Amino acid sequence: MSLKLPAPVERFTTDSDQPLRQGAYRSALRDERLAAILGSSLGILFSVCFVTGLYSHLQQHPLSWLPIPARPAGLYRLSQGVHVVSGIASVPVLIAKLWLVWPRFVSFPVAKRASQVVERIGLFPLVAGGIFMTFSGVANIAQWYPWRFSFTASHYWMAWVTMGSIVAHLGAKWAIARRALTRPSRRPALADADPVLGTTAEVAGDGLSRRGLLVTVGAASGLLTLTTIGQTIRPLRRLGLLAPRDPATGPQGRPVNRGAANAGVVDLANSAAYRLEVSGRVARPLSLTLDQLWAIPTHTTELPIACVEGWSYSARWSGVRVRDLLAMAGAEPDRTVLLESLEPRGAYRTSTLNAGQAADRDTLLATELDGEPLALDHGFPCRLIAPNRPGVLQTKWVTKVVVL
Amino acid sequence: MSEPGPSGRLFWASAAAGWAVIAWGLRGILQHSLDTRPANLAKFVVGGALLHDLFVAPLVIVAGVALARAVPGRARAVVQGALAISGMVALFSYPLVRAYGLAAHNPTSLPHNYTANLLIVLGIVWAVAAGLIITRLRSPA
Repeated sequence: MSLKLPAPVERFTTDSDQPLRQGAYRSALRDERLAAILGSSLGILFSVCFVTGLYSHLQQHPLSWLPIPARPAGLYRLSQGVHVVSGIASVPVLIAKLWLVWPRFVSFPVAKRASQVVERIGLFPLVAGGIFMTFSGVANIAQWYPWRFSFTASHYWMAWVTMGSIVAHLGAKWAIARRALTRPSRRPALADADPVLGTTAEVAGDGLSRRGLLVTVGAASGLLTLTTIGQTIRPLRRLGLLAPRDPATGPQGRPVNRGAANAGVVDLANSAAYRLEVSGRVARPLSLTLDQLWAIPTHTTELPIACVEGWSYSARWSGVRVRDLLAMAGAEPDRTVLLESLEPRGAYRTSTLNAGQAADRDTLLATELDGEPLALDHGFPCRLIAPNRPGVLQTKWVTKVVVL
Repeated sequence: MSEPGPSGRLFWASAAAGWAVIAWGLRGILQHSLDTRPANLAKFVVGGALLHDLFVAPLVIVAGVALARAVPGRARAVVQGALAISGMVALFSYPLVRAYGLAAHNPTSLPHNYTANLLIVLGIVWAVAAGLIITRLRSPA
């Protein structure tokens, strides 16, 4: 397939005084090798985000044939921490890569062969998807929602669109990137360079060198990582100047994602009418008052709580083991358990424990945090705390335990 | 040299695989339209790309040209680098500085003064840049 442009349009893209002519935006930095280095870095960072994001999605939308294991206890904390750190680190890489290849956006003719048409169309989901994924992720950790769609659903489905475009782009650029990456970095052969990018020779004293650009991007990624990672790695919390959370700020010195007032549970949680009910497929349904709940022997364990937004902390929790409670009610072992919060509404007012999670020795309805009674914002009278689980599924203000 | 352009079995195989995955994503967006609000989502996806390609990128290019004229050769590279880092850090910090998240009335979200902190980070960037510029201007050409 060959597309012939009409002569006036063709002239627009070739004459030396036209803005769309090849090489109009030439720079020593618009270089194939740099594009390949930035592109492969971005490909790795986005793939890490995709895999860890998929894991977070599976946690929240489990598949019956792929039950999430209760162990290792810190797996979700690690994977979600890596997800947010990689996403933040990719911001400067994405910006630099887009700047570098931008002349392609205004390059004409659009395409001469069918494969070029296919490649060029694929750049739209690639660029738009990359920008959307980083923008929506960064906005979400800052709890900024300038849109009306659901963040989780849209971020998830757009991740497939973005990842698909990366796969297609990889095939289109494989040969050129391989050539650029294996070629020695000190190369005089500009004749081989891509004319659309407008690569020129490096001249000393003429501004940022190619190495300088990589150092700049690395420094920006490093700086953003260093000033945010303290929200999940506690020894670095003093460096967390741009971290949306501080792991030591909040009731009982611990952050929360939603307080009791936001959830609308203050009166319900403090009411004398509060009961913890155990029902469903049980031999003896229970309806426990606070005093009865507190009379049950407790278990103490150190477990992390890890928010999908990338902050986390580890704490000492004490409370009733879910499996002890189920045994008291005479439930059969190996049952799925539904937990219901006092929250009147909201997507996360219930959560489910699969059989393995419900039977784990550290799956608790916690009543104490770090040896003190649980604060209202942390889920008083009792909250779920279980190993390897996203924070949004660590249901607070639990009032019903239903054996399914 | 004319651009060879993509071709071959690898190109078409990855294009087919990639577009199948893209189609899976688009199908998901349409199937869960109550959550994804396709019209609103499209505004942000298309808008983001257009905002970058038609506004941000040209602005950076114009800034680059202005900078090349205004800053002498030996200091230019460092100023370019520091300016790029500042822009990237500021862009990331924008929703924090604007404190949009405080609308959720959660006392534990956004616990810092991000305007001050951003200025501290930028101060460090430009202090390092100033040190590098002084070293470069002093060293023999």
